[in-house]
Parts: sequence; C-alpha cells; structure tokens
Amino acid sequence: MNTPLPNPVPRPAGELERLEAVWRTRRGWRFLSSVNNSNIGLLYIGTALLFFVLAGILGLLIRTQLAVPENSFLSAGTYNQVFTMHGTVMMFLFAIPVVEAIAVYLLPNMLGARDLPFPRLSAYAYWAYAIGGLAFFCTLFAGLAPDGGWFMYPPLTGTKYSPGLNADFWLLGIGFIEISAIAGAIELIIGILFTRAPGMTLGRMPVYAWAMLVVAVMIVFAFPAVIAGTALLELERAFDWPFFIAERGGDPLLWQHLFWFFGHPEVYIIFLPAAGMVSTMVPTIAGTSLVGRRAVIAALVGVGVFSFGLWAHHMFTAGLGVLEMSFVSAASMAVAVPTAIQVFAWICTLWKGKVQRGAPALFLLGFMFIFVLGGLTGVMVAVIPFDWQVHDTYFIVAHFHYVLIGGMVFPVFAAMYYWIPLINGNRLSERWAKWVFWLMFGGFNLAFFPMHITGLLGMPRRVYTYAPDLGWNGLNLLSTVGAFVFALGVVLFAFDAMRTLKRRTQPVGNPWNASTLEWLTSEDYGNRSIPRVASSNPLWDQPALAREVDEGAHYLPQTATGKRETMATSPVGAAPRYLLVLPGDSWLPLLAAAGTAGFFLLLTMKLNLLATICGITAVLGTIAWLWQSDRGVEQTSVDVGGGIVLPVGATGTASHSWWATIIMLVVDASIFASFAFAYLHVSMRLQVCPPPGSSLPPVELAWLSAALLVAGSVLIWLATHSLGKRRMPWLALAALACALASFGVDLHGLRAADLAPSESAWGAAVATLASYQGLHIVLLTILGPYLALRGWQGHLTARSRATLDNIALVWHYTTLQGIAWLSAVRLVPLLME
Amino acid sequence: MNRNASEHFFRRLLRAILPLLVWLLHFIFCYGLAAAQCTPAGMRPGGPDRTAMGVATVVALAVLAWLAWRGRGVLARPGRAGLWEWAAFLFAALSLVAVSWSSVGILLVDGCA
Repeated sequence: MNTPLPNPVPRPAGELERLEAVWRTRRGWRFLSSVNNSNIGLLYIGTALLFFVLAGILGLLIRTQLAVPENSFLSAGTYNQVFTMHGTVMMFLFAIPVVEAIAVYLLPNMLGARDLPFPRLSAYAYWAYAIGGLAFFCTLFAGLAPDGGWFMYPPLTGTKYSPGLNADFWLLGIGFIEISAIAGAIELIIGILFTRAPGMTLGRMPVYAWAMLVVAVMIVFAFPAVIAGTALLELERAFDWPFFIAERGGDPLLWQHLFWFFGHPEVYIIFLPAAGMVSTMVPTIAGTSLVGRRAVIAALVGVGVFSFGLWAHHMFTAGLGVLEMSFVSAASMAVAVPTAIQVFAWICTLWKGKVQRGAPALFLLGFMFIFVLGGLTGVMVAVIPFDWQVHDTYFIVAHFHYVLIGGMVFPVFAAMYYWIPLINGNRLSERWAKWVFWLMFGGFNLAFFPMHITGLLGMPRRVYTYAPDLGWNGLNLLSTVGAFVFALGVVLFAFDAMRTLKRRTQPVGNPWNASTLEWLTSEDYGNRSIPRVASSNPLWDQPALAREVDEGAHYLPQTATGKRETMATSPVGAAPRYLLVLPGDSWLPLLAAAGTAGFFLLLTMKLNLLATICGITAVLGTIAWLWQSDRGVEQTSVDVGGGIVLPVGATGTASHSWWATIIMLVVDASIFASFAFAYLHVSMRLQVCPPPGSSLPPVELAWLSAALLVAGSVLIWLATHSLGKRRMPWLALAALACALASFGVDLHGLRAADLAPSESAWGAAVATLASYQGLHIVLLTILGPYLALRGWQGHLTARSRATLDNIALVWHYTTLQGIAWLSAVRLVPLLME
Repeated sequence: MNRNASEHFFRRLLRAILPLLVWLLHFIFCYGLAAAQCTPAGMRPGGPDRTAMGVATVVALAVLAWLAWRGRGVLARPGRAGLWEWAAFLFAALSLVAVSWSSVGILLVDGCA
C-alpha cells in the first residue's frame, strides 16, 4: 500500500498498558461479570455444546428404546418427554444459540472491531439462555418436561389432553429463550453494519458476516410469529381463551401457521451461518479465493427471502387448499436453486485450488455429502403426493437429520477444528480427527440412512415401540448401532478438545494461512490497532497487515477516552464516523437475566410471589444497567490516526442505539402483526363477524382513545425539543397521563361491549390485541418516569440524549400500534359484510 | 443508514432486492387470495379467482423481466460490476424462475379441495 499508515510507530510508552488495563478480564469469580465478546462468546459456545451433549444423550435413549421391538426400557410417557426434549433442546438450546454464540465470539475480530456494540446485551442474552435453559432441562428429572413433540401441536397440547405443567414449561421456557435470540440478532445486525474496520465495504465484507447479517434479519421477522403463537397457547391454557379450540371458533391450524412461519425460516437460520462458515473455510483450505463470491452472497440473501414462503410445506396433510399448497411446493423447490449456487461455488473453489488435507477439509467434505443428500430428499418431500405418503414417518426423521446434522453439525465441527487455535494457539490432534470424523460420518449414515427405508416401510415417527413382525427390526437395530458409533466420535472429540484447551498458551499466528482478520493477533481488547482494509482477502492481499496492526500503526491504537471503545463506520463504505464508547464489565446483565429466567420459570410453577420478586429484580436490574448508559464523556473528539478526527458518540439517526431501537420495534411490530393475523384468521372462519352474542366497543371511544395516544406522542415530540428545559420531565409525565387515559378508554369500551374472551376465539383475539397494547402502556409507565428522573438528575444533554430519542421512538410506536389495533378490529367486520 | 452519510443505503438495498420483493408480493397475493376465497367468510363459487392470480403473475413476470433486462449489463462486464449490480441481476433471474414455477399451479389446479 502506498498511502502512509494511519499512525507512526513505535507507539508511545504506556499506551498499550492503558489499553490493556481498560479491557482486562477480571479473574476468579468476577469473571462472571465479564461482558467482553471473547469471554461471553466462549461461555456461550461451551453452554450450547453442553446442550448438544445433553440432547444427544436423549437421542441415545430414544435409539436404545427402539433398538428392538416391544422394548420396555422407557415407558410411553417418559419416551414422549424424551423425544420432545431431544428435539426442543437440539433446536432451541443448541442449534440457534451455537450459531449466535460462534458469531459473538468470531465476528468482532473478523470485522476488525474491539467488541460488539452492546456488550452488556450480549451478556444478558447469554445468561438468560444459560440459566433458563438449564432450569428448563431439569424439568426432565421431575417428570415435568414437555411431552407434546417439539412443535407442540394443539389440541394435544391444550389443557384437555395435556393438563399438567409440562406444556407450560415449554411455552414459557422457549418464549424467553427466543427473546434472548432476538437480543443477539439486534446486536449482530448493528455490529455488522456499524463496526466494520475502515475500508471493509459491504462488497469486501467476509461471506460469514453476510450470512450472519441475513440470519439476524431473518430472526427479526421469523421469531415474532412463534413468540405470538406461544403467547396465544399459554393464554388458552391459563385463561381458557379458545384460540385453538374448534368448538368455540378457534382453529388448531392457526398454531401450525404461526409455528411454521417461524419453524421453516428457522431451518435456514441454522443452516446459513454454517454455510457462511463453509464459505470462509473452503477458500482457506483450497488456498484460493471463493469462486462466485458475489453470487454466493446473493444466494444467501435469496435463500433468506424465499425461506419465508415455505412454512406450509410442513402442513401438506393438514387440509389446506390444493392451490395454496402448490405455491408452497413450488417455493420449496425454488429455494434449492440459490442453495445449489453455494454448493457449486464450494465445489468449484476446491477444484480450482490445492486442498490442504486436514480435519476441517474432512468435515467439510462430509458436510457436502450429507447435506446434498438431505437437500435431495427435501425436494422429494416438497412434492405433495410424495409428502402425503411419507408425512410423519421415519423418512422425514431421516430427511431432517441429514439436513440439520449434515448442514449444521458437520460444519460446526469443521469450524471447531479450524478456529479452536484462536483460543490458546493449539490445534486439535489431526490423528484423532480422522477417528472422530470416520466415527461420526460412518455412525451418522449408519444411523440415519436406514430410516429412509423404515419410513418407506411405514414406521411412524414418535412411536415408543413397535411389533416384531413389521419388518423394521433389523433396520432399527442398525440405526441404534449407528447412533452409538456417532456418539463415540463426539466423545472422542470432547476428550481431544479438553486436552487441547488445557495445553499451554502459544502464539496463535495464522495456522491455516487464512485471509480473514480474525487471524490477526487478538487480546481482550481485540487487535492492537484497528486495521485499514483494502481487499476482501486482507491477510492475503496486504501481507504486512498483521505486523502493522500489532505495532499499532493502524487506527485507534490507544484508549482515547480512558474507556472501552471501538470505531463506528458507515454501513456501505465503512468510512469512519464516530468513536463508539462501550460499557465495561458489570453484574447487572447477569442479575437481570437471572431475574428474567426466574420470573418465567417460577410463574410456570405458579409460585407467584417468588416469580414477582424475580420479575422486579429483572426490571430493577435492567433499569440500573440502563441508568449507567448514555453518559457523556469529557472529550468531544479524538484523533484516531491518518488525519481522521472523530466525534465521540453520535445522536439521533447517526447513532447505533437509535437503529437498535428501530430493529427492536420492527420485532415488536411483527409480534403485533402475528396477533393481528390470528384475529384475521379466526374472523375469516366466521359466517358473521362479530359472531352472534359479541360486539365491538362504540366507535366514539375508539376515536377518543386514538386522540389521546396522538396527544401523548405530540407531548413526547415537544419533550424531544425541550432538552435542558425545566418543562421536559413534565411533558414526559403528561404524555404518560395521555397514554394511561387512552388505555383506560379502551378498557371501558371493552367492558361496555361485554367482550368475553373465553366464549369465542374471536373475542379472545380482540382481547389479545388489547392486552398487547396494554403491555406497551405498562412499558411506558416505566419509561415515562424514568425519562423524567433522568431529566431532573441532569443526565440528558445535547451529547447524551439517546435515552430521550429512543424512548420517543417507543412512544410513537405505541401510538401507531394503538391506532392499528383500534382500526383492525373494526375494519375486518366491515370487509366481511 | 445515516442520511448524512450520503451512502443511500436503503435506496441501494431496495433497488437490489426489488425482484425478491416482487416475488414476495406475488406469493402473498396468490396465497392470500386462494386462502381467503376458500374460507367460510370469503368462499367463492368455483374456487379461487384464477384470473386475478393470472393477471398478477403476468404483471410480476413483466416487472421481473424488465428488471433483469435493466441489469443485463453485468453479463457484459462481469469483472467490473459491483456487488449491488450483481445481486440485482441475480435476484431478478432467481425471482423470474420462482414466479414462473409457482404459477404453474394456477394453470393446473382449481377449486378449494
């Protein structure tokens, strides 16, 4: 590179020591208060792998039970709990968390950032998942684990057929794990778009980061559907609101739509990060750049969008119209095209380069073989008549294990072989790797290939035993042997991993001669200086980069404000924009997460007092955490090198927190849209809407409620323009009064209409929309006084006004949502007249 | 994302993913119409309105063909086209295939069965 480097070297004495001091990880038990992405990422990955092992043991229990016909190893009831927990834990506590966990660990380094933009949010997401997940798993030991299958179809999971607490644990437990996943997604989107190294344009961004960006956006739109679904089923179970009870106007298919609108994109939410990792590893092991890089990136986006048109292919036997099914069937086949683009790109890259034989290469080849087979059976089951034959048989079990283990577990193992040297500089054993691979690959195919045949022979999934004269005995025994062989491979890997991680730390270097930035020397603070990137393969095309970065010759080789910080850059061109000051370690995210997990789990057990205490702890912990944020620092601008002087922090639409709030509100709006869909769905099943005996509140009250909401928003808008003035806190409180009055009017109207949610699904759907609005009013009841208090305490200034701007966004959203629900409940009956 | 950054992030994004949005709109319209016209409230004698779906398909295909034609330049200069141009062209081609393929059902299937 001809242009001079941003900073002169050698760097001044003491600069590195100050940087280290600010970022130093606390030792001993205080480590648990750490929020740094490297520490949280490793904890997160470790916990996710623990759940992989636990759910794997459940899988072995299933296979032991099915090894021989008429086995009595597990009772029918226990078997139901075991297969439900196997699927639930694998999907919700392993697959989704592990891909987010790897991203939390890898992405900042790969992007040249010092940390993710909201480290405390990462810590909160991790702890809520870890504490809640472990407690959820323990329900198995008390016989209270869910037993309705991982997709929990009503009416089986309604109170009539599942009267115990088992289903409630699933509904509430999974609910907050999803919230944790969404928090992670917001973090990743903002991290990827705001904190890339200068010069790392979107075109140069690693394909893995692209995959995670697509996945995070998918999470934002897909997860709200299942959050809404779980809320509806829990409302039905707790308060007898009959959303899924046909006799009272409900529809069990409503659950299936909501669940699979999440559940199918979820398959790609799991696969695309793996595909991103593969696209990062394949060029390295082939020693050449990725063939068709732009097409691969476009394919990732294409798969992400198409995946939202596939949900109903899980419902081909549920009685949907043939025409609707034909659209979904076609979309299910169309998604194979962008997936195939990626597979061909990987094959071409391997063909073009010279493959480094080793563990990652073995697992990548294993991935391609298994995943392609799973993809092909996927196209088979997208064909409706074929699906009718094999639906709910072991053919489907075989298909999705080929897709999920092939498409995700093998790439994750390849990734562990590839990236574990980042932890302490040691590689896993290549000799053991061959054993691990062949045991896993052989065991996998032995376990799951015969299931295609058992399925075609008619064996249904989820049966706890079978008669000996059906011709399934030998195939089942083979599957069981294969499962144990596969498990042996995993155990061998675990021993090797523990052995390797205990070894003495060595310099990491670049053991695979990779091209991406995570192989720069990295400590608690990330890289010594933030690299200036000029290519999509920076370590190949800028050979001196590693040395220059280590010397501190690139950007921000110091802590400019005496706090943790990274550079915020522009989303397209990655031009330096401002210095993003990051929060330090804290116990508060852990406290808030423990409170959140405790609240949901204790509520399920009907321990209301303890649940309330936990809920209050969560709220207070979060408020205390937020109270410390958005504080100005002394410096207004800093010199990061290369003649670039950046402002410290940003406000309004330039700020990362403003955009994070917007994404959170998109999630919120998607949850609301799911409730509105539920309302539309149950309304469309009626001949007359509202149903006989039901009515809507008088329209005048709706106008009054909407007017009050608008008045509240106007007052908040005035508050945003009254910064530093004495009236600002009072405006916030007046806005709150308007919001409360609006909801009071809503409640009065609902009472006047004599709406009885337990009598009909229609009434329940209206009550749900009103309740969701009520939840937002409760939120504003916390936010309004909080804003006023910050104003009185002098914590709102022109440079630290994110609290004000972000609360204003939430406020305006609540107004819009209020108007939307008031309009929706009236428009649908009008349209149906 | 910042209007001051002059990067036109959303404009570029919208331009690139426009073909995928056309596919999505077409899918939602056809699926939604077929679903609505097969419910007790919206039941239509003779099944869903395939003419309306056919018109929607022709419009979607025309828009996608135009978008693909507009982006054909990337084929002439594959090495020099940027990520956004490539993505826009590929999305147009992918969406053309997807919409054509989804619409086969409209020609072959009628009724709500």
